[in-house]
Amino acid sequence: MASDAMRRYPGHENFCYELETLLSNHPPGFIYIHDLEAIRTTTRVTGTILDALSTTSSSPAIFYAQVDCVTSFTARLLYENIVNTLVGWEPRWEDGCANWKDDLDTRWNENMDSFVHGLRAAHTHLSRKAGAVMDTGKGKGKAGVNSDVRLVIVIERPERLKETLPELLVPFTRLSELSRLDLSIIFLSQVGWEDIKPPLGASPDPYYVDVPPPSKEDIVRNLILNFAALCEDSPSSSPFNNPYQSSLKSLYIHFITTLCDVCYPFTHNPQELQYVAAARWPGFCKPLLDQYKACGDIDMESGEAFPPPTNDVRMRLTKTFNPTLTAALEALLPRLTNAADWALANAPPDDLLSLPRAQGVQAAGTQGGGAAQQGAALAALPRMAKFILIAAFLASTNPAKSDVRMFGRGLDERKRKRRATRAPGKTRGGGPSKVAQRLLGPAPFAIDRMIAILGALLEENDFDSRASGKQFKIPGEHTDMEIGRVGVFSYVMELTSMRLLHRTTPSDRLDGPPQFKCAISYDATLALAKELKVALNDLLWDPL
Amino acid sequence: MQDSHIPNLDDVSKTSYYIPFNPSSTKREEHKPKTSIPKSHFEDRDLNNGRELRLSAYKDAWTKCLGRMQEIVRDLQAASVKDVINEVQHSYSNILPGLPFPELPVISLTNSGLGSAVLDSITSELEGKTAIYGGENSNCVLAHIYPGDIPNITTGMRSIITGLIEKQEVDSVKRKSTTSLATYDIKYLIAWYKIWAEDSEGSSPHIIVLLHEFEQIDPLVMRDIFDICSRYVSELPLIFLLSMTSPVSNYLNVTYPRSTLSLLRVRQFSAPTGNEILDALIFNTFFDLEFQPDIMIGPAVFQYIQDYFARYNPSVDTIFTVLQLAHLKHFSTDPLAVFVKDTPSVETLASPDSSPFIDALRNRINTINADEEIPADQYSALVDFVDDARYKFYRGLHSMKLGLHVMLSLLLFLEEQGYTGLKGSPDSGRSSKLWDAMDVVLGGDPERAIKGLAFVARKLKQRELGDILGRMYKLINGLAVALSSAEEEQHAKSEIVAMRTHLTQCGEDDNSFVDVVSAFSTWITGYLTTKLRPLENCPLWDIWYTGLSPFPSDIINPSIRASLVAGLLQPHAFAENLDPHVPHPISGSLRDLPDISILFKRYLDSSKMINVYDWFESFKTVLEDQRQHYKELSTTQASASPRKRGKGKQKASPQVDANEEDDSKWDIHVQARFVRALHELDYLGLIKHTGRKADHLVRTLFDVDDAQ
Repeated sequence: MASDAMRRYPGHENFCYELETLLSNHPPGFIYIHDLEAIRTTTRVTGTILDALSTTSSSPAIFYAQVDCVTSFTARLLYENIVNTLVGWEPRWEDGCANWKDDLDTRWNENMDSFVHGLRAAHTHLSRKAGAVMDTGKGKGKAGVNSDVRLVIVIERPERLKETLPELLVPFTRLSELSRLDLSIIFLSQVGWEDIKPPLGASPDPYYVDVPPPSKEDIVRNLILNFAALCEDSPSSSPFNNPYQSSLKSLYIHFITTLCDVCYPFTHNPQELQYVAAARWPGFCKPLLDQYKACGDIDMESGEAFPPPTNDVRMRLTKTFNPTLTAALEALLPRLTNAADWALANAPPDDLLSLPRAQGVQAAGTQGGGAAQQGAALAALPRMAKFILIAAFLASTNPAKSDVRMFGRGLDERKRKRRATRAPGKTRGGGPSKVAQRLLGPAPFAIDRMIAILGALLEENDFDSRASGKQFKIPGEHTDMEIGRVGVFSYVMELTSMRLLHRTTPSDRLDGPPQFKCAISYDATLALAKELKVALNDLLWDPL
Repeated sequence: MQDSHIPNLDDVSKTSYYIPFNPSSTKREEHKPKTSIPKSHFEDRDLNNGRELRLSAYKDAWTKCLGRMQEIVRDLQAASVKDVINEVQHSYSNILPGLPFPELPVISLTNSGLGSAVLDSITSELEGKTAIYGGENSNCVLAHIYPGDIPNITTGMRSIITGLIEKQEVDSVKRKSTTSLATYDIKYLIAWYKIWAEDSEGSSPHIIVLLHEFEQIDPLVMRDIFDICSRYVSELPLIFLLSMTSPVSNYLNVTYPRSTLSLLRVRQFSAPTGNEILDALIFNTFFDLEFQPDIMIGPAVFQYIQDYFARYNPSVDTIFTVLQLAHLKHFSTDPLAVFVKDTPSVETLASPDSSPFIDALRNRINTINADEEIPADQYSALVDFVDDARYKFYRGLHSMKLGLHVMLSLLLFLEEQGYTGLKGSPDSGRSSKLWDAMDVVLGGDPERAIKGLAFVARKLKQRELGDILGRMYKLINGLAVALSSAEEEQHAKSEIVAMRTHLTQCGEDDNSFVDVVSAFSTWITGYLTTKLRPLENCPLWDIWYTGLSPFPSDIINPSIRASLVAGLLQPHAFAENLDPHVPHPISGSLRDLPDISILFKRYLDSSKMINVYDWFESFKTVLEDQRQHYKELSTTQASASPRKRGKGKQKASPQVDANEEDDSKWDIHVQARFVRALHELDYLGLIKHTGRKADHLVRTLFDVDDAQ
């Protein structure tokens, strides 16, 4: 029965077997499936197994509902989703989107209590539907377990319940006791049960099912299996433009094996690998398709399959595209760009195979891929904002006590001296060596301090570029005017909303100056400083 | 609940707030929009209704200028608007096959410079109100969601769903809220969509959710919304359109976790930003040959715009604001600005009220042409003179623009060929060539630059000279020569033609080539010198040209502390006196100031620490003086109405009927006023409390340059 699921999801054979056996025989009331790596696949597998179990006519008949705790963010949504799915009810607009109703027309989405009643009503309804006619008249009084209908409720991402609806966690784990039905609840999570377990042993211990992380071979087999489905889906308008056709399967197997060799060390998530494959495959097989097209001896009308590529061609393609796989992973795993755009930007030139080899490798090289660095993105900020960011970085990195020494413009210039840099790892007192603030992360600072540093920076580095300052006679007066301007303060707020600064004090506190933290990296600051000709390293207490 | 009149002052998305005027809280009953602009400094020589006339002239001039600039903005944004609309329409076509799960299309539009116009064009196009950018076939429904609509996930989902359902009415059905799907359930939207898609026949219409000010939305909430929506993408063709203002392009990558980003297919678009906008707006508005602004903006304002734009706020709104203020300032300063567009009729000028104005004008004209003085009663001669001056000014302006275009094309050419451009010109290398040229042309010293150019032109090689001559011919031939005398251009053209023919006849090392090059150099010197005459040479130039008058930068970007101190020192310069009972004009003496200012003056006189008792005593002395003064006034004027003075808070001012007032009562009164003023100063942060010395406070403000 579940052999279908086993076949479709290599690596999950044991899981399929275990779950199927459990559910079809005598399931525990509460099952906890924990999968750290490939939760999406496991969810799909569970769905497939349940689907298979519910469609086969067996006794007991199994009805299931699969709900997600992010989508069902309130208790009411959770109740409605579970009951409507169990009975297979689809609300329709014409009926005013009414929920499923039992004969008595009671409301069951109000609280846990009514939900349990709703479940029982659904159970009765399903038993009737399943042909196992119960003695409905006495059904309520009997309250016996109906062995002919079994309900299975899968709750995905139950860790969210702990945050949003903590009061539901215990009742759900005890749902089979509460409802006194043949019911099994399955939690399907990336998080271990010990992390969401309610305190004081309020919940029963679940039956644990741990899904091991998929091995590389499993993923490869999995991805190759998907190819057949993709071939069916993709339109067969012209075989020369269609990368998903069954005649390319041998090449695809080769491609996936290479891809997994390269990418498996970085991610074990089959979805991510599939994503990278989707972005690279059209480009990978394009030279071959181009070649077939150029040959022109394949009769398109007859539906004749392409001959498999020769070993030489295959090796050549691998050699050409191997370097781009890492580039694809680098751009796509953090989603610096999306697969479609990446595929378009990195499509190989036409007739790559007819080009000389060295040139071919070069031509297939990747283009940027939208890997926009933060430093480059900051270039569009106005000049004052850049100064504010540098000042904020200095305020976050330097200790407050050092400010007078670092920025003071006293008569004695020699005083302006940094702390003597000691060799790392050795301290006089024998205590643990002090870690540089830059490595500890930004420290919060009061806005006044940042403004003062900004003043020092402006006085040193911005004085010459000012438009006019004839009316200011006292040295420093113009800078004093500049740092107090509305534009400066409003830009601090704007930078906060861009998340380049973090406000650490709540915005509704009036007492005391607001505190901020700098949120840009040393490299980004250095780029800004270079642009503004600020000698950043001279101003750092702990220079690099 | 918060009063709807009071804005949320903690909103970080705003840099300024509009607190609407609430007439009920003040005493003034009548509140009419102003029909005139502020009084001129030269009020004594203004026309009788000069303020109204100048206001209408200002309105005309500004509307013309603004209309032009908005047109330019529309041109600037066209490309990105088109891209976004195209992307919206094709979000669900050409999906890359082989993806592990369907992605939710997200289009982010970064628009830091062009303001709301971009989004307005996009939405009106998508909603089918306009069809300029090829969005006429879009079959979609669009919901506008603002950060306030998404405080948490329940409200957020409800706003999105109801926002969409309200937009596109399908037969509404009676529903019982308790036993049917909740309005924040995405299944509810799916049920609605099925019906609507059936109704709309053919291809499945798209659902667009436009999130305004996306950066302000709580990422935690938005994460869940993306998650929910991405699960139902196959049933609901949702598209999220994010409007962002921060110029940082990787906001999504910085703020959202990878798990959320992997559900989305983000495409980023950005509207033009930075100097591109500034150059296009300024150059095409004020230096375009086909557009004639009513008044010409001078280099001081341009410099300020450029500086403020680069330093603080690179957006179109900045340019609009500064230029509008410059217009307003120009029209409110000099009474003569009434002549900008047209000259008032002879009757208006002849009326006896206008005589100071006329006298001033005549004196001004007589100093310009001392030979033919205009006699006292010849108004038509005055009108003629002004009309003539207007014509001359616009002609001068036009020829200056011509000169600028020629100079610019020469500069660009020289730069292309690797020559140094405006060597020795002020501010060279600071910005683009455009600004250099503008500075030179408006700065009043074009001669040096022309000399430099002529010098470089002498070094041109034969091929280069041929190229530049071709360009010059094309340029001058294509220029609109409406205002300028066409003869000059004809002359210039014929000279260029002559040089070109000469050039074709001679070789590289030929002596005759040297002749041609020097001829070209001479020609360019002569041409530019005639064209680039300073605008200040025109008669009555200051009517149409703001020249070197500086821009009042403190209006849009004041220094908070400096304004605070100035406001305390000279309150009457900031607040118009709303109370008609107070004697006007106000003398500069201490007793006429509000309490807080009196206290502040004394604060400045003290040393680092202030003894509160001494402070109070000195305050009391001033108040005694004030009381005495009002008493005298009331006896002399015998006015029955009670006097109030100062700003709104000063309602408890001394009753003039002081005879019945008890001395002890007066003391309490003074004390109360002192305490209030003290607290106001405290609230402004000017006082620091320390327990170091009894009855003493510490000053926080020093070295104030008190002019008085």
